[in-house]
Amino acid sequence: MLRFENVSKIYPGDFVALEDINLTIQQGEFVSIVGHSGAGKSTLLKLLYAEEQPTSGVVSFNERSLDSINRKHLPFYRRNVGTVFQDFKLLPQKTAYENVAYALEVTGETDEDIAQRVPEILELVGMGNKMGKYPRQLSGGEQQRVCMARALVHHPVVIIADEPTGNLDPNSTWEIVQLLLKINSLGTTILLATHNKVIVDKLNKRVIEIDDGKIVRDNEKGKYSSTTPKAEVNNKSV
Amino acid sequence: MGTRITKIKRTFKEGWDNFRRNGWLSFATVSVLAISLYIISSTMIIGVASNIVLKNVQDKINVSLYFNSDVPDDKIQEIKSKLIGYQEIKSIDFVSKEKALEQFKKLGNNNPSITQALDEIGDNPLLSALVIKAKSAEQYDIIVKAINGSSFAGDISRIDYEENKAAIGRLITIIKIVEQVGLTLGIVFVFIGVLITFNAIRLTMYAHKQEFEIMRLVGASNIYIRMPFIFEGIFYGLFSAFTVMLALLATSKFLAPITQGSISGGDIMDFYLSHFFVILLGLLISGVALGTISAAIAIRRYLKI
Repeated sequence: MLRFENVSKIYPGDFVALEDINLTIQQGEFVSIVGHSGAGKSTLLKLLYAEEQPTSGVVSFNERSLDSINRKHLPFYRRNVGTVFQDFKLLPQKTAYENVAYALEVTGETDEDIAQRVPEILELVGMGNKMGKYPRQLSGGEQQRVCMARALVHHPVVIIADEPTGNLDPNSTWEIVQLLLKINSLGTTILLATHNKVIVDKLNKRVIEIDDGKIVRDNEKGKYSSTTPKAEVNNKSV
Repeated sequence: MGTRITKIKRTFKEGWDNFRRNGWLSFATVSVLAISLYIISSTMIIGVASNIVLKNVQDKINVSLYFNSDVPDDKIQEIKSKLIGYQEIKSIDFVSKEKALEQFKKLGNNNPSITQALDEIGDNPLLSALVIKAKSAEQYDIIVKAINGSSFAGDISRIDYEENKAAIGRLITIIKIVEQVGLTLGIVFVFIGVLITFNAIRLTMYAHKQEFEIMRLVGASNIYIRMPFIFEGIFYGLFSAFTVMLALLATSKFLAPITQGSISGGDIMDFYLSHFFVILLGLLISGVALGTISAAIAIRRYLKI
């Protein structure tokens, strides 16, 4: 479904963020992407939601190259891709309900449709009882749930989660991972970029490790690191 | 179709909210835009109104050829038929000395002393004349020159023209200066107006950075992201247009006594009222155009999609 063919991304100043990436991800997979800060994880994800274009190579979605999508039609492609970030990106002056509704408003859904879908999706992420709260009245974990609801509201084919638990305590972290697993079980592909060793090891799903812009490891049921885990594993490695 | 209307409704509301929430910035923007529109529209009004005045004055100008008393009416008619062939001449009226006397008496309101004086002279002291109107004011010079150089120049006692000439020339010069100064100032202010509007929209964009990011991520169409700013620009333009309408009303009211009777028998206020919808339409179109252009520049420069 998602494919990278000989993809490189070089930023101005000859900074090589990604080099010759070849990668295929099937519908319904749950893939963790690990690597140091600056290794190229975020760039890889940005290429997928078309925030960046590759310098060379082809990124394709359902056998269609993203390059061939007209800029005018790019927004319609993006509706297939839900995104969740470490910093939530919620609008502070809007309630949880309004934040999710906003994603539907700007794509021109009708008011009736919005009134029906938003509570459903907030219910799904376990925020049905806090729809009227503003982001500042919610915990980090709760805010991230609202973000997940927003990402899901367009029924995307894939969810891209870039360090979604980076700002959360271990409990909330695990809740978010559970939620991702639940979404994945409903058929949505999940791409999770993370530094969290515990999560990756516990998931026991496909792991791709990126180092210095290259894929150095791609295990079907992998762990956070290729070497044997040490005893003093941290909950969170930043 | 339904979604399109929904989108327009939402972006319109968003644009209106941006305009409203900008507060003082919107006020300043509208003011500067209004000043530029005011200068341009008042220049145009002065131009149109003074051209009406000029036309009225020009209609009243003519050249009178007074013939020596010994020239018979037949000869004058003959000269008239020669002159009518000039392409610069619009009309020629023959005023016989009898008719001139009649008019003179009427002008004197049959004042007994005038009648008495005329009776004392006995003979009609007035001269027969041809009253010539040219097609345009600049052509009188040519006509007068042609007549002076013609075969019948010797039959003419005097040509009455010079006194009007200077007044008309002055009027034309004033109109030209007003139009030039007005248009130059207008262009400068339009430029400033567009800059200020552009800047206001740019600041709105900056304040809404987070919304853009989210709109893009959730797949809002490019046009949806841009429309609120176009609407914001339009609001600046519309409000300026209405402000200028009021400013022009006030100006007209103020100038009404000075312009009494000079513009088609009315004053500047009558002119404003009779052209109300044309002026309003012109201002609305130019206001909206300026606002949209400013928004388009800001979008092009600062809105990454």
